[in-house]
Amino acid sequence: MNNLIKTIFQRSFALNFPFIRSITSTPANRIKQIELHQENDTLTVKGKIVDSGRESLLLPEVTECKNKGVRFCPECSLNLHLKHTDVLILSQYIRKDGCMLPRRVTGLCKRQQRKIGTLVTMAHKAGLLHGYKPSWCTKLPNQRYKHKKFNTYFFENTIKLPKAHYKQNEPCK
Amino acid sequence: MSSRQRVQQWATFARQWHIFDCKWQNPYESAIAIVKHLKGLHKPIYHPMNDCGDHVICINTKEIALPGNEWTKRAYFHHTGYPGGASWTLAWELHSKDPVMIMKKAIYRRLGNNLQRRYTMQRLHLFPDDNVPKELIENVTSQIRQLRVVPQRIDHIEKDVIDNYPKIMDYPTDYLPKTLK
Ligand SMILES: [Zn+2]
Repeated sequence: MNNLIKTIFQRSFALNFPFIRSITSTPANRIKQIELHQENDTLTVKGKIVDSGRESLLLPEVTECKNKGVRFCPECSLNLHLKHTDVLILSQYIRKDGCMLPRRVTGLCKRQQRKIGTLVTMAHKAGLLHGYKPSWCTKLPNQRYKHKKFNTYFFENTIKLPKAHYKQNEPCK
Repeated sequence: MSSRQRVQQWATFARQWHIFDCKWQNPYESAIAIVKHLKGLHKPIYHPMNDCGDHVICINTKEIALPGNEWTKRAYFHHTGYPGGASWTLAWELHSKDPVMIMKKAIYRRLGNNLQRRYTMQRLHLFPDDNVPKELIENVTSQIRQLRVVPQRIDHIEKDVIDNYPKIMDYPTDYLPKTLK
């Protein structure tokens, strides 16, 4: 019986952790890092909160918004108009494989999530986020297929966004 | 004529040599700046009948940049003269065949249709990379300013700079990084 449970566990861990939800004892079901330890017949699952290393470098406005419980967007809160060449800022909103993070992680309003997502796509197409890509992709930007290997730049005013549904002085949603 | 005036006379009528780096520049925008120097329009002594144009060396034409989807939408027309001899080559196809041609055609078009165009084009020297013959590069006395800021790739920025750059996003405490294959 013990062995059977173990094999089920191992299989389910291979398939995107469907068992995680059923074994957590805390309300938060997503933790920063999950560690698996195997000792003889017992399998221990540890949820470890890892420091992101960004705490000390955060802008004071960001921590201010966090303490107030207000949403922080670079454009709505700071009036900072990003370009697709601002890779040092855009790279904070993406995963290691270059995907845009979801809105519950980035904490942006819907319009800004859409806009920054498009800016990330533009930066990828321009080959500026080289390194943030799936591990199987080994090509340099100038080795890409057909027209994609040549330098391209984009205009930020071509990004089509839905109308803002809030008034000018209201916080964004 | 004093010696100072004599030197000023030489400097006024001598042909200057300019260099232009085409890296991440739009060929059609930079053609405006290059043509100005090729024709000598920036000089106070300019006159159409006055042969006062300068030489321009364009380097890194291989690394020009086009906006949006222009690499696939801009087509270059050619006709052999025979029936059915028309052909349309896309910008990226032309650029992969000859990395100098797009820049050359942009400047040639910008010069306007007149008898001086062919002679003005002889003062233009295009190079796909930065390997310029020594006898040309030693003449260069000035540089034409680039029109676009060359963007920096993130893997060319040092790790220290990336790590110590101010952050505007922190992960929520219940964030689990996706297991990547
Ligand atoms: Zn917002």
